Parts: sequence; C-alpha cells; structure tokens
Amino acid sequence: MAQQTLGQVSRSWTTRRDEKRRRMQQVQPWMKGPILPRKKMIEALETLIVSGDKVVLEGDNQKQADFLSRSLVKVDAKKLHDLHLIISSISRPEHLTLFELGIAKKVDFAFAGPQSLRVSQLLEDGKLDIGAIHTYVELYARLLVDLVPNVVLVCAEQADAEGNLYTGPNTEDTPVIVEAAAFHDGIVIVQVNEIVEKLPRVDIPASWVDVVVEADRPFAVEPLFTRDPRHISELQILVGMMVIRGVYERHQVHSLNHGIGFDTAAIELLLPTYGESLGLRGKICEHWALNPHPTLIPAIERGWVKSIHSFGSEVGMDQYIAARPDIFFTGRDGSLRSNRVLCQLAGQYAVDGFIGSTLQMDADANSSTVTIGRLAGFGGAPNMGHDPHGRRHSSPAWLDLITENKPIVRGRKLVVQTVETFQSGGVPAFVETLDAVQVGKQAGMPIAPIMIYGDDVSHVVTEEGIAYLYKADGLEERRRALAAVAGVSPVGLKAKASETAALRSKGIVAYPEDLGIQRLQAKRSLLAARSMEDLVAWSGGLYNPPARFRSW
Amino acid sequence: MSYERDDANSINRQSFIELDARERAKALFDVGTSRELLGPFDRVESPWLSMQGVTPQADDGCVVMKGKISGQAAVVVALEGAFQGGSMGEVSGAKLTAALDLACADNEKGVPTSAVMLLETGGVRLQEANLGLAAIAEIMASILALRKHAPVISVTAGTVGCFGGMSLAAGLSSYIVLTREARLGLNGPEVIEQESGVDEFDSSDRALIWAIHGGEQRYATGLADALVEDDTQQLADVVRQLIAKGVPPVHRSSQVALYRGRIAALDTSRQWEPRELRATWGTSSSVEEKP
Repeated sequence: MAQQTLGQVSRSWTTRRDEKRRRMQQVQPWMKGPILPRKKMIEALETLIVSGDKVVLEGDNQKQADFLSRSLVKVDAKKLHDLHLIISSISRPEHLTLFELGIAKKVDFAFAGPQSLRVSQLLEDGKLDIGAIHTYVELYARLLVDLVPNVVLVCAEQADAEGNLYTGPNTEDTPVIVEAAAFHDGIVIVQVNEIVEKLPRVDIPASWVDVVVEADRPFAVEPLFTRDPRHISELQILVGMMVIRGVYERHQVHSLNHGIGFDTAAIELLLPTYGESLGLRGKICEHWALNPHPTLIPAIERGWVKSIHSFGSEVGMDQYIAARPDIFFTGRDGSLRSNRVLCQLAGQYAVDGFIGSTLQMDADANSSTVTIGRLAGFGGAPNMGHDPHGRRHSSPAWLDLITENKPIVRGRKLVVQTVETFQSGGVPAFVETLDAVQVGKQAGMPIAPIMIYGDDVSHVVTEEGIAYLYKADGLEERRRALAAVAGVSPVGLKAKASETAALRSKGIVAYPEDLGIQRLQAKRSLLAARSMEDLVAWSGGLYNPPARFRSW
Repeated sequence: MSYERDDANSINRQSFIELDARERAKALFDVGTSRELLGPFDRVESPWLSMQGVTPQADDGCVVMKGKISGQAAVVVALEGAFQGGSMGEVSGAKLTAALDLACADNEKGVPTSAVMLLETGGVRLQEANLGLAAIAEIMASILALRKHAPVISVTAGTVGCFGGMSLAAGLSSYIVLTREARLGLNGPEVIEQESGVDEFDSSDRALIWAIHGGEQRYATGLADALVEDDTQQLADVVRQLIAKGVPPVHRSSQVALYRGRIAALDTSRQWEPRELRATWGTSSSVEEKP
C-alpha cells in the first residue's frame, strides 16, 4: 500500500485497487482460477457489484451479454440498487427491467432502437434517468474520462482455463470496455459460450480478465445488417442510380461507409450492373468501413471492393469472410476480427463519404430518428455523418468539395442523406419542425436530440433529385436547393419553379435527367441479386443466411 | 423431375418470381401466340370489395391467357399474389372456372387444349365469403372434368404460396410444379398457429415452415411432380415437358388407398422430423409409375 504524507494531507492512492481486492476475495472460494461456476452467478454479481456502481453491461449493436443481463435482473434489489448503467445499445427487454426493479437508476447510452418505446415510457414514469445519449465512440471515450466503470459485464465466444478470451468474428465493443476496467482497477466479468483447452486466437489476454463464466446458451446476436433484396423498391433503385452517378462518380468517392437500409442495399447491388455499365469499377467504392453486408457480395465477387474493415460481423457471413481474407480483416485463425471503436474512427477520419437514410429532415437538412414516443438514440451514424475538422490528409473527393478560392482552405467529407419525400402511410419526411425538438423538451434534455446536423450534410438525395447543399451560397440558397428535391412535402411546396431552374443550371440541384438517368430505367432487373437465394448463389454457397431470411 | 442448383446460371437466370401474374402467364406460351381474355380493359371487377373499403382491381387479380404451348392450344390462368393475397372471389373464381370449362369444351370438340394454373393464393377471399367458397367448388369440378382430356398443371413459384381451398385445386391437378421458394399446404402457418397454438406451429419460424410446406419437402415426399429453379426458361420447359407427357395414367388424387395407407402406417406416438418423412414417403416418380 503506497501511502505518502505531505504536510497534513494523508491519503491512500490505492482505494480502487483495495476495493477491487476486497470484492474479489469474497468470491475467491467459489472460483477455480478465473472460472466461476454458473450456479454462483447471481450471488457473485451481488458480491462483486455494489449499489451506486458504474457498470458497463455489454449490449452492443449486434452481440449481447445476455446471460449476464438475465442474471443481473435476478439479483436482490434490496442488496443491489441504483446502479449507473452504461450500455451502448439498449437492445434486450431485461436491460429495462433492471430499471423497473430499481436495480438500476441512471443510464448513459448510444442507441435504443429495439427498446426505444419503453425507454421513452420509463423516462416519463421517472424510473430511469438519462445521463446523455451519445454516439458510440463518444460513449466509449467517456469510459476513459468521467465514466470509468467499477465493473464491466462482457461476452466472448470462448475462454481457456487461464481466462484468455477469443471474441470471435463479433469482437465489436469488447476490447475497449475491458480496457477501461482492466487498467483502472475495475472488475472484468465475462460470459463465454464455452471454455476450451486451446483458443483459435487470443483477442483479450487473461491478465485483463477477472471472472469467466460459461453461459447457459451462446450469446444473443441479431442479423441487423441483412436486407432481403426482394424488398428493394424501384424508387430505391432510382435513388441508388442517382447516388452512383451524381455523387460517387461525380466526386470520385473511393472510400466510404454505408448506413444500413434498403437505399444503400440498392446501391451495393447496382455496382456490378449499373456501375459496371458506366465503367466505374476501380474508380469508385474500393475501400469500405462497413459491416459485412450480404448485399455487398456481388460487388466483392465482381472485383469492385479492395478492402472492408468492420464494426462487427453479420450472422451467416462467417464462412464467406473466412474465404476472402484479401478483402476482410481476419485473424491467423481465419475468422473476422471486428472492432467497433476502430472502425468508427476509420469511418470518421479515413473515408471520403458517408451515406445514410433518415426518417425526418427539416428545411435546414437537420435530421433525427427520434420521433414522438421513441427515444431511439444515435448509434454510430453521427460519427460518420459529420465532417471531422481534425482531418488533414487529402483525397480527390475531399478536395472536390472545396468551393472557395482562397490560400487557406480545407476539403470536406461527403455526408450524404437519402430521404424518400414521404414515409409509408403518406407521412411527409420533410417537416417544418423535427419531432426531436418536442421530444427533447419533454425529456428535459439540454438540447434537441439531432442525429445529423444540417450544416454537416453535403448532399441530400431524394427520388426527385440531388441537392448539392455544399455548393449553395448562403442559408437561403441552401434552403431553396433542399426544397427543390423535397417533392410535395411541406418543405418542398415552398420551391418555386423559376428558382429551381436557376439552381439546376448552376449545378446546385440535379434531377435524374440532368444526370443522364431516365426514371423508367430504374427496374428491379438492374439489381445484381433480387433475392436471398441470389446472394447465396453469388457467394458460391459460402453465405448461409439465417432462417428468418430464408424462403426455402 | 428436379434440377441441380448451378450458382453461375442462377445469377444470370431470369427470375420467374419477379414477374407479375400477366408476365408469368405470357412467359409460358410460344412467343407471339398468346392473347388475354377478359383483360383489365373489360373492367370486370369485384362488386363487393369497394363496399368494404377495398379498392378493386380491373382484372380482379386473375389473368386468363389463351395461346399455344409447343404448338398446341393451351390456356394459362395466373393469380396475382400482390392483389389481396391472390385470393379467390366471385369474379376471379368465375374467370378461372370459365377458362377451364372452355378448354374442356374444346377438347370435347377434338381440339386438344391443356391448362396451366399459376397459383399464388391464400384461398378464399374472406371479403366475398360464400361466393369465394362456391367458386372454389366450381373450380374443382371443372378441373375434374378437364383432366380426363388434357393435363391440368398447377405451378406455384412463390412468394405467396398456395393455401386454403386452392391447395385442394392444386391437389386435383394432373401435375404440380414447385420451386424451393414455393409453399403448398391446406392451412397456412398463421392459421395453424391461431387454431392450435404456437407450440403446435410457430408461424414466425421460417425454417420450420419451409421444412413442412416448402417446395423441396413437398417434392421429396412425393406430393409434387417437379421441383424447378426460380428460372423462367426452366419453368417454361418443364411445363412443356409435362404437357407432352399428357394425362397421367392415374391422378394423385385418385390414389386414395395409397395415401390412406401412408397415413395409417405413420407412428403418431412420436414427433416425426420432416427429413425422415422424405425417406419414408419417397419421391413422386415412384407414385406416377404405380397404377
């Protein structure tokens, strides 16, 4: 125990370490090395965690430490309560049951898609306090600053008897969570699918790990990045064609991230057909920060793609990835190595462009997926969907967005939003005021929860055309450009034909015909794959879609 | 007959599932020989749907085409799965029945005419209730009359499948052609779950559904005569081959003793796996040859 005395001040410099030792000693009798028997899990959680602790519960975008979350809801709320949970993705029902039972009180998170309704309800009922809604990188950065965890509950595929971990293709968020605890005297508790004699590779060394428990069943993981080509509409194909011609080709976008959606799935499936017909292979879309989207298989097979670094894996893609190590980042064992934080950084700083779709956009191109009654959070889109002012290297696309002729200028990242002017049910996507403004007020947030700020958006693509917002001169012209592609939505109705004609001649707005695209060309027959069966065929049988996407 | 999957061909094929009912029907005929009967411009549509707030369709989701297949007269009736789930109402049922009856009359006059039904349907259109049920009874009677003279071929490609009363119509046909993506069954998965509970049949479990209702299983257990790729050319070829085969010596639906025997021999005290059933019931070719 290092203790120093300076004048009258005497303090311990090892309080965190001492507290960890105290807790670990209590569970020691149950353990064999780092291995805890499963039946002792709940008791161990009651012992290793203390009321008021900051606890990271690994709920990633894809994989979930669900054995640990299912165990945590079973602890005695009289013994363990008011935890401050840090969950990147509130995905599982029990994540919120913890708040209903009083085991947890406060949450800091990034995304709550599947549970967004209940988060909103619990907040209203006063059962849950929100610290802040973050982006992924932002939340993990705070683990190293002001949200240093006392305990982290994470998952891995396999452990050996020493406690070394193999996280498998879905490494995702595990390394950063473990690092934040392991090197600041937090306790690292890991659920594994199985304990084996020899690991295929070591992703996390045993000296970072305190407790390993074999889960009752493999950790839950959702195929969130799979889109069935059968459901891609001709409108989405039209938007895809415009993006390829009017954005990727125009600015020579070599490296990029695609948000998940049918719009982007359409683009991926148009590259080997429409893109090929324009002679663009090798000229665009070579390097990707992207999960292994099954809809990218045809483009990979046709030689469009040089590299893909991934946030996580995707269910059913393991064999395909293992057979394409030139394209994907893989370990010596052959399986994918993913890493959410590093891939988010790649998507933030190293790519030419980001493209994503949104549910609502206002006249200034601000957008949010937060709508009335739903606190969905942001996930990773804002990381990639902004122009990082810390970027210093240049690329043709980055330089192409410079509009000023001054001695000192900086390039700009492409932040492209695709929006259909109306959502299903005839609800306009372009609105006067985002729902997020009202939600923010109701939830007592200091600022409205905006996903992508309008001033970061360089292009908006709708089925009407493309608004090259980065080119607009001043706020007024910017608004007119957006209105010109906003159809008959409340925002679009403000467009005047004469102004739109002027914007088209200045190249600030382009309609399909300005790009050499005929609307009637946008047929499903242009898609390189029109069904899941086609994707399997393109992969030579290596892609194995999960049952819910099979119709055979 | 069944076809090996060929990945390279699979990518370049022309999908049949992608086609709408009209395109599907047309694709089966010799080029340039087909014409539509009672098409959308004749505006014979359901009088019942608009009363219930459902927009009717000018062909009532049933496309009838007459023309030549391999140089021989044929009628193709295609149900549009995208309109009201391909359901059979008064008008669509009458169109299908009339087409079969006219084909039957031509055969009786000495003009060999076969019929192909492209079935993407959930069965009776609930909005038309008894009229739909009556239509299906008429369709079945017409199939029985026609199949004595010329083959009646049912094709289900997907993605709706063929369920309810129309699965009985498929069962009466001379030959059944399915893709892997097709489903064929009396009660659809949702109906079974609703009636018997999720433990009996989980309608969200797609693997289970296709293991039981799927085209591959139906073919492998002898309940279909051909399993084809989702390939327009291949499907058209198979229809040609089946028409060339003519009326089967014995129809599947006449083999009552065979199928009763199969059911009786099943040990129902245990849960059978779909795969086991394939081994036990075998393929359809053996059925066809048996008198």
